[in-house]
Amino acid sequence: MLLPARTIWDTRLQCVCAVVSARGPDGIELFLSGNFAQATLNPPRIVINPNRLYPIEGAIRWARRFAVNVVPASCRQQAQALYGVRRRQPHKDRLLGFICDEDTHGIPFLSDSLRTLFCDIESTHDTGDHTLIVARVVETRVNAARVGELPLLYRDLIGSTKTGRAIRGVLTRTGVIDVLRSTLWRLRPPPPPDLARNTYLDGGQTEEEVQSILSHGVLDPGRAITPGCPPAAPKRRVGLCIVGTGWGLEHVRFARRAAPRLDLFICGQNEARTARIAKSIGAAGYFVGLQRAAADPRVQALTLALPHHRHRQAVETAVAYSKHVLVEKPIATTLADADALIDMARRVGVILMVAEDMHFRPAVREAVRAIGRGWIGEPLYLLAHIAGAMRPSGWKGNVTEAGGGIWMDNGVHYVRALRLLMGEPGRVFASRAMQVNTKVQGEDSFQVLFDSEAGWQAHMFLSWAASRGPLPDMVVHGEQGVLHLFPRKSYFDFYPNAPTSISKLLSLVRPYWLQEKLRRPGQQRRRVALRDNDLTGYVYEVREFLSAMTEDRQPVSPPEDARRDLEIVLDGYRALDSQQWVTVPRVGSS
Amino acid sequence: MVRESPYVSAAIVEAMVGLVIVRAASTANVMTVSAVSEVAHHPTSLWVSIDRTTYTHELLRQGGVFTLALLHDGQAELAWACGTVSGRDRDKCATLALSARTDCLFLPEALTNTACRIRTTVDLGTHTMFIADLLSGEVNSRLQHRRNLLLSDL
Repeated sequence: MLLPARTIWDTRLQCVCAVVSARGPDGIELFLSGNFAQATLNPPRIVINPNRLYPIEGAIRWARRFAVNVVPASCRQQAQALYGVRRRQPHKDRLLGFICDEDTHGIPFLSDSLRTLFCDIESTHDTGDHTLIVARVVETRVNAARVGELPLLYRDLIGSTKTGRAIRGVLTRTGVIDVLRSTLWRLRPPPPPDLARNTYLDGGQTEEEVQSILSHGVLDPGRAITPGCPPAAPKRRVGLCIVGTGWGLEHVRFARRAAPRLDLFICGQNEARTARIAKSIGAAGYFVGLQRAAADPRVQALTLALPHHRHRQAVETAVAYSKHVLVEKPIATTLADADALIDMARRVGVILMVAEDMHFRPAVREAVRAIGRGWIGEPLYLLAHIAGAMRPSGWKGNVTEAGGGIWMDNGVHYVRALRLLMGEPGRVFASRAMQVNTKVQGEDSFQVLFDSEAGWQAHMFLSWAASRGPLPDMVVHGEQGVLHLFPRKSYFDFYPNAPTSISKLLSLVRPYWLQEKLRRPGQQRRRVALRDNDLTGYVYEVREFLSAMTEDRQPVSPPEDARRDLEIVLDGYRALDSQQWVTVPRVGSS
Repeated sequence: MVRESPYVSAAIVEAMVGLVIVRAASTANVMTVSAVSEVAHHPTSLWVSIDRTTYTHELLRQGGVFTLALLHDGQAELAWACGTVSGRDRDKCATLALSARTDCLFLPEALTNTACRIRTTVDLGTHTMFIADLLSGEVNSRLQHRRNLLLSDL
């Protein structure tokens, strides 16, 4: 059966796959291409057509040289990962584990490819949404270990598995596919066979569209921090004192799980209560008063679960005795205090780490990975919904001691999540509903908007007035799908824009009322299991602190990260006061 | 019989193989090519690089439209037949079951046929690179399980 080609992809012009590699101003760029060919024999010239929306185009123009690395058929998975990676993802090579060598001209290349062509640009031609590049081949390297192996072909890159292809082959040869296609087209007619228009609608851009898309940058370098991986257990036995007998009891639980070999101490203000707790948790000892704990030679490190306003003095006391410190978030209530603590710890040479579980929360880590790998395309929105019926009392209700209300206490966690998932914000705006709990001085609800030069926005809504219910606490919305993250769940959900097989099948059901009846939200859902023992990140954060201590290194999240979180939180308060968008300083500029 | 072609022996990288079918005035010709690839999605276009000494080059200059017929892995003989003789010496189209489509000739037994109109050219010394807009195309649905013919198949 002869069918009209409806798009350029129907014409099979994309054939042999290669990774085009170049070193741009921001590092190595890689791009999977099915479009390249030799244009002349003597001298040998190669022509490639990088898409202008991808950073490889700028990298090649910048470096004036590049390599074409022909992908072996056996490297399909790696090629698929590169094919699917987020367009504006920086350092794709690091994210996907590509090992790039460099030739004498500084051209990065993949030595495991079938063959590598090293090319110098001769001319570039503006040909629409792609740039046509004619290049002289200056060197060719053949991988002797892969001689005789076939290259990966584009149809195998995007097609199904080997078995799937075999079944499809039989169905094609016997004409079953044609019958199925005819039936399908009766139910849902295909677009008219206008090859150019369909190609444009599916994946082409006018000059205006290219400019609009590129106005937020061809790369998104906005992420300054990356989530922590599950740390290894501490290498040796540690004497750890938990300071605080409220939330500090949770620290005890986390520490026990984080490190089985631990000499655990507890420090409180009330001797009877502290002694009782020490006995119940099987502590090696207890202290009344922070100074005694810090001075004790059996204690090498302290975790501080204290009111916000006491962080500075407590950290200073511990550091004065050269003890490593894990202090609860926020690092302090002012930037001046945060700076003083960071400076003191550095001068004395001890570890100061801030207990930010969000940095180690497995769902956040895996969501960041999924975003990098292109599951949702370019991230556009983050929606964070933080709510729980709560009536804070004591220091938490005192705005001077807590440094604020729910935004300072809970918002600081989600600022970290924002920075991990989306990147550094450029501006912040805040507003709030009426105060419900007039017994606390700090705000009991808060609403905040962020935006970024990279083109994304975020909306956070926090409340101590009512519970969230079974909703996710974070939703990351992208151009190709949505991620739902739930606190303390052993999974996160991915809803791709592209219909799943069952969704496709159901879309053919007629009449429509029956189709509606058969549809379920879960049919479009892909649930991704998290195999971590610690779903909250609390245990990992304590383990990282202890491991860093025993390995004589800095933790993966330095205190400057927490200082930056505090800076953004304080900018949120400034925005609330002024009722204006407030510019968030760039990382490290204040 | 050992067959040789400078385009095969001097190729430094694997590539798909197809035929350029060109019709100009009252004549037509077909030539095997591997120097062909995509240019852009908008405007939807491809490039093909043709040796300046060939008959096809002459006809492309005259006619301005052509068909790119991509071959499948069972059509190596056809590629050899159309790639080792000049159209000046023999009417290669005579042996092919070509069918007419508006301004172009299609080869229904190919994997795909794409009608193109030349928009511009780039001088590459020995070759001319023709950049052409894609006008329409045809897909042989019964052959879609087959892979493209590659230079290494020749």
